[in-house]
Formats: sequence, C-alpha cells, structure tokens
Amino acid sequence: MNFSELKKSALSYLGFYGKPTEETLALMDGAVEEALALSHFRAEGKIFSSPLPFLCEEPYRSFLAGCSQYALVVMTLGSEAERRIRALFLSDPVRAVVLDACASALVEAQGDAWEERFGEERTFRFCPGYGGSDVKDVRYIFEALRPEKTLGVQLLESGLMVPQKSMAGVVGIGKKRARSCGACMLRETCRFLKEGTRCYRSGNN
Amino acid sequence: MLPLGKQLILFDGGMGSELERRGLEGIPEELNITHAGEIRAIHRAYAEAGADIITANSFGLNAVKYRGKYSIAELARAAVENARAAGKEVFFDVGPTGALLAPVGTLSFDEAYKAFAEIARLTSDMVGGYIVETFSDLYELKACVLALKEHSDKPVYATVTFDSTARTLTGSTPEIVAELLEGLGVDALGVNCSLGPQELLPIVERLLAATDLPVIVQPNCGLPKLREGRTCYDLTEDEFESWMRRFVGMGVAVVGGCCGTTPAYIRRLAPLRGRPVPARCIKKGTVVCSATQRLVIEDVRICGERLNPTGKKALKEALLAENYDYLVSEAIRQQDAGADLLDLNVGIPKIDEPAVMRRAVTAVQEYVDLPLQIDSSSPAAIEAGVRYYNGVPLVNSVNGEEEVMARVFPVVKKYGAVVLGLTMDKNGVPRTAEERFAIAKRIVERAEQYGIPRRRVMIDTLVLTASAEQPLVMETVKALSLVRTLGVKTALGVSNVSFGLPNRPLLNKTFLTMAMTCGLNMPILNPLDGEMTGAVKAFAVLADTDAGAEKYIGAYRDFTPAQLAAPAAGKPAASEAPTDLYGCVRRGVRQGVREAAERELAEKAPLDVVNDVLVRALEEVGALYEKGVLFLPQLIASAEAAKEAFAVVGEHMPKNAAGKGTVVVATVHGDVHDIGKNIVKVVAQSYGFEVVDLGKDVPKEKVVEAALRIRPLAVGLSALMTTTVASMEETIRALREAGCTAKIFVGGAVLTAEIAREIGADCYTANALGFVKALESL
Repeated sequence: MNFSELKKSALSYLGFYGKPTEETLALMDGAVEEALALSHFRAEGKIFSSPLPFLCEEPYRSFLAGCSQYALVVMTLGSEAERRIRALFLSDPVRAVVLDACASALVEAQGDAWEERFGEERTFRFCPGYGGSDVKDVRYIFEALRPEKTLGVQLLESGLMVPQKSMAGVVGIGKKRARSCGACMLRETCRFLKEGTRCYRSGNN
Repeated sequence: MLPLGKQLILFDGGMGSELERRGLEGIPEELNITHAGEIRAIHRAYAEAGADIITANSFGLNAVKYRGKYSIAELARAAVENARAAGKEVFFDVGPTGALLAPVGTLSFDEAYKAFAEIARLTSDMVGGYIVETFSDLYELKACVLALKEHSDKPVYATVTFDSTARTLTGSTPEIVAELLEGLGVDALGVNCSLGPQELLPIVERLLAATDLPVIVQPNCGLPKLREGRTCYDLTEDEFESWMRRFVGMGVAVVGGCCGTTPAYIRRLAPLRGRPVPARCIKKGTVVCSATQRLVIEDVRICGERLNPTGKKALKEALLAENYDYLVSEAIRQQDAGADLLDLNVGIPKIDEPAVMRRAVTAVQEYVDLPLQIDSSSPAAIEAGVRYYNGVPLVNSVNGEEEVMARVFPVVKKYGAVVLGLTMDKNGVPRTAEERFAIAKRIVERAEQYGIPRRRVMIDTLVLTASAEQPLVMETVKALSLVRTLGVKTALGVSNVSFGLPNRPLLNKTFLTMAMTCGLNMPILNPLDGEMTGAVKAFAVLADTDAGAEKYIGAYRDFTPAQLAAPAAGKPAASEAPTDLYGCVRRGVRQGVREAAERELAEKAPLDVVNDVLVRALEEVGALYEKGVLFLPQLIASAEAAKEAFAVVGEHMPKNAAGKGTVVVATVHGDVHDIGKNIVKVVAQSYGFEVVDLGKDVPKEKVVEAALRIRPLAVGLSALMTTTVASMEETIRALREAGCTAKIFVGGAVLTAEIAREIGADCYTANALGFVKALESL
C-alpha cells in the first residue's frame, strides 16, 4: 500500500489541490493508518463474455468497446470504518472528515489492487453514475453478483449501498483504458485541472 | 425423534443447490406450489438417505424478503405439506430477511421481528420445530429468535454463518453468538453454510468451548467455486464424511449439510445417527457482550458511570430534548478513556422512560461497541433497554425485595442478561457485612429459582458516604470478601464514598484501592478521571494480573511528573499556538479556547464577545475557505473551536438572549451524505441557533412530524446526489401540504439557486455561512 499516494487522494477528496503544505499534511497524521486498521476489504467479481442488457446502452457500450470480456465487481471496506467515522463526527469532526476521505481513498486503492487479477490489459473500474450513467444501474450488478450474502453489502431502494464505503462497477478486459477528465461535468471549472493535476490517482487506474 | 444432545441427530442437506442441480428455476418458495412433486421428491430422497429431520423449503419466506403472487400463509402451508410427505419430523426453515438492519441498513428491529413473528404464528401448529439458519447479523438473529420464542413453544435451533476470520458479516465472534443464543433460550446452536468443513474446524472448536448447548454443524460441500458463471462445490463424499466424523468425535450433536450437499452425502452420515454425543463440561464466567465485543468480568473491569442524568444538568436537558448526540458523545469519551462497559440510565421525571431507554440504547450502540449496563428502577424501562440491545447486557438492578425480584428476574431470564443485585431490601441498607451477605445469598438463590445461573448474577455491597456513616465504610469492603464466597462477581459505585468531604478524589482513589484488594471486580466510576483509572492499572500490576506490567508500561511509558501539573501540548506546536480567542477560532485550535473565552468575557459583555470576536473570526475563516486558502477540515476545526467558545459565552449570557431560535436540519431520504449537513449544524450552533438534527436518509414523514412539533424558524434540507433531489422535492411538497410555515432552506453539492426554486424551496445557500446569514435575515 503506497501511503503517500493514498494521502494525496484523500487530500483531493477533501478539496485540497496543488501542493499540500506541511500544515495540511499534519492533518492526515495517522489517518491513513487508522483507516487501514479499520478496513475489512472484501470483493467479489465475475467475468462475462456476452454483455448484460444494461451494458449495451451508452455510456457503457462505448466504454467497453474493444474489450473481449468484462468483469462485474462489488467491493467494500466493511462497516467498522464507517462506525468509527460516525462516532468521530460527534467527538472530533475534523478527524472524522479526514478519516472519511482516507477510507474512500483506501477502498479505491484496494479495489484497484484487487482488480490486478484481471490482467494488465484492463480498463479502470467504471461505476454507475460515471459519465452520465444512472447510479441506479448498480442494481443490475447486484442481481448478477448477489453480494449481500458474500460481502454483506446491501443496495437500498434509493440506489445507495451500505456500508457506504463500497463500490460496484464494471471492468473491461482485453484493452487498457485509464481514467480521464473528458466526460466530467466539472471539467470547465475544475480547480485541479487549473493546477495541472487530477482529482484521481494517475497511472492505469 | 432421538434425544437432542444425547444421541446424534441427522438433518438433511442443501435445498437451493439441489433445486439448481435438478434444473428447477424461479423463486424457490413458489416451487412449493408450482412444482410440489419435485420438491417432495427432494425431501423424500433426503429421508431415504437417513435424515431424522426434514427442512421445509422455506428459507426466503418472510414478508420482508418474499415479494410474489402468493400469500406467505399459502406458501408456508405448501412448504410444510411437501416436507411432511417424506414421513419424518419437519422443521421450518427460517432464513434472514435479506435486508440490513438499522443503523447500517434501513430495516428496523421491530419490522424484522414482525416478519418472523408472522412465520411463527402461521406455522407453529404444523411443524416440529424451527431451524433458523444462515444469519450473519446478530441483531436480526435476536429479532428472529425472540419472535419465534414469543409466538411458538416449538424447539428453536439456530445456526449462523461466519467468514474465514471467524466473524459474522457484522463482526460477531462464535463466542458472542453462543452467549446471545444461549441466553435467549434456543435448544441448539451452531454454524451453517459460509465455508467448507475444513475451514469451519476452528469455528466449531470455538463453539463447542463456548456453550453447554447441543452444537449443530451444517457445512457447505467445500468452498464455493465459480465455473462458467455457475457456483460449484467440489468436496467428495469421502472427504465430507471424514470431516463430519471428526466433528461428531469432537462433541457436535446435530449434523447435516448446506450448499452443494446432496442426498448421497447425507447417506454417508446415516451410520452416525444415534451415536452417543460425548458430554462436555464448559466453565464460563460472568460475560456481557455487545455485537462485536465480549467482556468477561474478572480481575477489575471499569464500568463508566457518566450516562446517568443524576446531578448532570446538561445530560438531563439533552434527554428531555431527546438529543441523543450528547449522550453518544459522552459514551465515546468514556470509551476512549478506557471504560470496559458503560452504565446507561435515563431516569428523569416526566419522561416516557421505556421509550427513551429504547432510543438511547439504539443510539449508543450505533456508535460505541462497549457492552452496556441497562440501569433503571422501572422494570418496563429495563425490558425496553434489554430487548433492543444488540448483545447481552448487564441489568442494574434488583435488590433483596421479593416484589422487585419478581418483576425483574423474569426479564433477565428471558433475554439471558446478567443482573446486578444490591444488598438492600425494604428495610434499607443493613449496617453489617454479614446482613448484606445474607441478602446477597437470598438474591443469588432466588435468581437460581428463576433459572438464572450464578455466573449471570453480580452483587453490589453498596457504598455509604464516609461523612455520614464513617464506621460502615469498612462493612462494605468486608461484605465484598464474603459475597465472593457465593461464587459471584462484585460491583460498587465507588465515588459515593466521598460526598460531603474535601479533596474527594483522594478519598475515592483510596477507597477504590481498598475495595479492589478485597475482591471488587467492577467499580462503577468516572473513567475520565485519570487518577481512578490509573489506580486500576496500578492495582493490576501489584495484584499480578497485568503480566509483566505490560499494560501499565504501555500506558505510562512516556510519563513525566510534569504531566501532572501542565496539560500536554497539542497541535500546532506549543510555540505557535494562539492564545487569544480570535486566533484560536481562526486557526481552529480547541485547546485553550475555554481559557481564552473566559479572558475575553472578563473584559467584554457576552454579546460583544460573540459579535466582535467569534463572528469576525468565523467570517474570516469563511472568506478564506471561499478563496480556497482554507479547506474543509480547517473550516470544521474553526467551527468546533467556535462551538466550544459559544458554550462558554452561553454560560455567561442572560437566559433569554442565549437562543436565536431553532432550526431543523436533515439529509433527505435516500441520501446518506451528511458531511455538509453536519457542518451547517455545527456552524449554526456556533452562531447561537438551536439545531435539531434529524440525521441522514430521513423519510419525509419524519421531517414533517418534527417541523410541526418543533415549529422551527427554518427547515434545512441537504442532498448530495442528483438522484436524491427528487426526494428533496417530495419532502418540500409534504411540508407545504402539512401546513408547515417555516422557511425551507436547501443546500448540497448538486443544488443551485435555480434548482432550489424549481423544487419549491424558499432559499438556497451554497455553504454553512450562507445558511446562517440567511437565517439571521429572517
């Protein structure tokens, strides 16, 4: 686990951009470590060759174009971190938002590492809600993987997952594709872009 | 039927995987009607293989999970009739609802209970018993077992699934599950599904060591593997049989199979039927647990006393306003300070104590995983607390009065709680140790008559104040030694001893040490008092219970005598730390805020401190935040520092000037992102508004109810996601329709002034400061 990368991600979730000062870094002291200690990462994935109906629609269709197969994935950090974050909101809200951001960064990073099993030639994890897709499409992933029993992740009627630090998405296999700002609705006003950085971690994922 | 726990009983094997193997698709429970013949064939195959008990095909049959065209009643009847056709004893299969219980999910304990109660009502006359299986949440398991026990007198067997770390999905260990189920009075308990037998071995060992009850094991046929999109299990019949023989040899009393096992696997176990089950002798101490923590009361364990409104004005006010955040923050502080369990008492005049106790228990257990001691003189409040507690609590208390014991012991027995008995009766507290011992003996014996074993009884020999009853202090201590001979653990509310005398901490600490030496196991004290918790740590070294003084050294490794005089320096470095109030708030440094505020108040009127210092500092912070110089955590840190300062200023304010009015805030239904709402809350409080926080994912009905009851200045609604703006709109419409006259404020990442207008809000604010400014302009 690359701690300094995680810190950078967490800082960007907190709205920091540009080069973090020592004072901002001090805020993060031990938070990544605490998030890691509270993490019970679990993931479930299944490889498919022919696309499920919802993946034949845009923007998924374009996203998966050129891939030979794809995997549906659900992953979670578990509920312990969440409980701690909620408790901190009552006793130490500053720590709470920092830990909240670290936990988000951690589940992303652990998810990326877990997806290495799908090989070098793979896309980043595209989650319903990205690029104009409907958040509620998560239900199709749940129908296919049934992560309630295996991961303890539940989909509420509203489309939210609990525990909150969970992700559900699709990974294309057979083609590399990194995240980009192309389709982002904030592109015009993005502070990160103005500073020449991104809100997500660089590299393949 | 063979005698349970004496001779080995054989259950059937997997149903779901058997349906799949035979190509039967659709909702499994509906197959009971649409494919009754095929279902009966599966049951018959298991009966012919030698199973003593046939499990009805009813795993997913409850009102929360099943949504189809049949009624629960007709499916339940069909499931039982199909199973009966095999000519063996039939157990109804009760699986989880598939929904997560609050606070993680949205299903309430009562809703889960209701669904299971319906099952019991419909089937109790038709079945030989219930097999509760594949549960992975202790709270839902408790709701289920209670519902079955309260609506049926048939045997209840309960099995749970664990992951490879031997925890359920919600974090309970085999020991915690066993303690809860044993307390609730199930007939047998164990593990099913989850893993293959090999992986279950350590879990089975732990279950056998954790309970006297017969243990059930129904493993999968190995670990599930995915092949071409299908789930496969690949243990051979030989392997399965050999593992199950091993479990039987270890003392397991009931075996069967789960996913992937077929009649052929069960047939291999048939020769084991009726084999004598080896007797086990389990010695267990006094144990309480939360859903994730198990605490054995031995040596000395600290029970935090601060969740009790007696003599605490702020807590009293919070309970009257049903502001559970305050209660929870006190709980968290005690946990962080090293308490092992927490006393919870909500007894104040003129409140609905059972209702408040239920909500308090629910609130505290959401945030804190220490076991709780439910403390009340009202049996109804005790039952409310114990029933909704997700674990095995301690009950405080009974005394030697027959009427009190007759009211409280049945509750303790029913829920398997531990009970604290006070050595007093209707004549008051006896003067001598011997008389108190006699009452303790009576309590212990009466508890046993109610079926409560000694390990579930603790005794408090009662502290009297040294100022009023000086000669009796030693009687209390002496009584501890006597009571220990009954084989029970002991408790004392130690700080009572010093009332009315100077330097109370010194007396408390000295008395605590005396009591621990005579066998006190559970002092009920203020864990925030480092001298008291320090005495417990020191005692553990001197009494040789902290091996190698490891914990003591861990706590005091960096100790220097100077720490006694000066508080440790916090962040930022002491040299840079601001000392004036403006600087503290501007920099978000909480330490020293109180002193700085007091200094300002010595020179200025309270309102001037607010306007000239706090508001100005917050405005600067707000401006820097908008410019992007300061960021979210720093904004919150300033808000926190300001909140502390406002509390100090509030103490100096004339009563009527303190509040600017009340606002109700909520994150709308469907949205759980509450960071923004929490910031608004803290900042609005800092500016002197009373804030009633309804939380996140709040149904519109709850917002309407609060708005009509509280009649606030404004209702603030928050949403982060595009998908929940619709929910916000519905909430606004419901508020208008209900005749709410308060202004409706909205905010959140996806909102703009334009959207706010479209959905019918009165005001959109981009951030917490904007919210407060708009409030002030009302």
